[in-house]
Amino acid sequence: MQAVQIKNLSYSYSKKTPNEKLALDNIDLTIEEGSFVAIIGETGSGKSTLLQHLNGLIKPQDKKRSCVVINGMSATDKKSLRRLRFEVGMVFQYPEYQLFADTVEKDIAFGPKNMKLDPDEVSQRVKRAMSVVGLDYDEFAQRSPFDLSGGEKRRVAIAGVIAMQPKILVLDEPVAGLDPTGRSELLSLVKKLQKEISPTVILVSHNMDDVAALADRVIALKDGKIVADGTPKQVFSDRRLTKAIGLDVPTAARICDMLAERGVSLPRDIITMDELKSALLALLSKDAPLNADQPLPNIPIPNDGGAADV
Amino acid sequence: MPFIQLKNVNYVYPVREGASLKAIKNLSLSIEAGEYVALTGMNGSGKSTLAKLLNGLFKPTSGEILMDGVSTADEDKVFDIRRRVGMVFQNPDNQTVATIIEDDVAFGPENIGLPRDEIISRVDEALAAVGMSEYRKRQASALSGGQKQRVAIAGVLAMRPDVLILDEATAMLDPEGRDEVLSVVKRQNQNGVTVINITHSMQEAAMADRIIVLRKGRLAIDGAPAQVFSSGALRSCGLTLPPAAQLAAELKAEGFDLGAVTDEASLVEGLCKLFK
Repeated sequence: MQAVQIKNLSYSYSKKTPNEKLALDNIDLTIEEGSFVAIIGETGSGKSTLLQHLNGLIKPQDKKRSCVVINGMSATDKKSLRRLRFEVGMVFQYPEYQLFADTVEKDIAFGPKNMKLDPDEVSQRVKRAMSVVGLDYDEFAQRSPFDLSGGEKRRVAIAGVIAMQPKILVLDEPVAGLDPTGRSELLSLVKKLQKEISPTVILVSHNMDDVAALADRVIALKDGKIVADGTPKQVFSDRRLTKAIGLDVPTAARICDMLAERGVSLPRDIITMDELKSALLALLSKDAPLNADQPLPNIPIPNDGGAADV
Repeated sequence: MPFIQLKNVNYVYPVREGASLKAIKNLSLSIEAGEYVALTGMNGSGKSTLAKLLNGLFKPTSGEILMDGVSTADEDKVFDIRRRVGMVFQNPDNQTVATIIEDDVAFGPENIGLPRDEIISRVDEALAAVGMSEYRKRQASALSGGQKQRVAIAGVLAMRPDVLILDEATAMLDPEGRDEVLSVVKRQNQNGVTVINITHSMQEAAMADRIIVLRKGRLAIDGAPAQVFSSGALRSCGLTLPPAAQLAAELKAEGFDLGAVTDEASLVEGLCKLFK
């Protein structure tokens, strides 16, 4: 089943003014239910504009040509818009800025209440959402969200979204500003949410290490167009592509390139630090030290593939 | 004498009736003029409180902070200290006071009543220092995050500060914006400005001469990046090594010592030596 179907989607800001700016340029995109998709690209590449189409915050400008269908519901159909918004959970950047209620419980209950669920169901969902994000109900439910730490506030905000049990969870830079512990906790939480609540996850990230570790599909945007689409391995190991579109690569891939320049050749499809470690250990554990006369154990570096400028 | 001196500093936030929160506990340290210091620690470790203590926004509950020999608690000197210790905050969107960029940068110098010519020359200089001269007549709202933070830094530089404190100033930026800001900061440090960069990013911390780690309001680690990363003490402060240093540590555990690794370049250097 397709969670997202987008056809011929273009969008311009300040349309028909001298400041008109094309943010999305004829996007075609299908996302299967159950996938973990990372959307990458520089600031201004169109990521946020694309995300806002997913739950109808922005409607397609050209309703005749473009089509945005989420779980079988058209984003332009006013009748299904409400349901569509319940099915697409959006976690914006710094979601803790959107907390507003005087207790954690009321804040998280806001979404499910709006879905007109009965009070028992609402309270069950609040409890479940809090337990999934790791906030103890007895300890936190009656506290003010504004007295919590940054990481806790963010978990409250995310709980408010998942309490609506969206089928698609969209996260825009969810770990920005968190400390390393908060980051790794939140990223494992996202994986857990995918398993337990929202089968389809769409994540916007500037951190290529996170993308390589989490996503099963990477979509790169540039100037409003999709310029790369594939598994993290496919996209990041194609250095001609990453160089041409100015894409950052994961740390491990960057280190492989730096080593290649110094004559140490490793497989070009290494994208995580774990893979890099195994490859290095395999090389280092060889009895004889490596030297130039010895054939290197791995694939040769193509000339045109040169190291990415970092 | 060190430029910045903290002597047994404590800071307590009153939370609500009867309750209080000790954010800084008995902290003593000194920073020399011209140092590039990274200040790090988990959320809630007291980093931002310390930054606000350093430029006199907060006064120590007990203990003393001397800035070039002047106490930050000295009411008569507080404006002088704020001029000398400039701060750039996290959110690029709420640090501008004027619509047009050059007016924003001129705000500080205008406030201290400098003559017009002096203001103009300082604004020119500050915008040039952050590479934003060509944007001077533009609207601040039309800039990227990295550009906005560079303008915020220009506003601080126009006051000719001795110390530049960045309070997670790159946290909301994309990688490109982050690099822009960090290279401006590096250049200012080379020109003699003392830099204190508060950050969660260990890659960023690795760029400093010295890393100071706070844990629950106390000084936990203080040393050069190579020293701090190899000490194994970061984890107990809720922090992680930068990826390159982490890999070096794991390889060392397998019997391959790469020497001091702080970043990707030193990792590659260490590996190449082993492969020779």
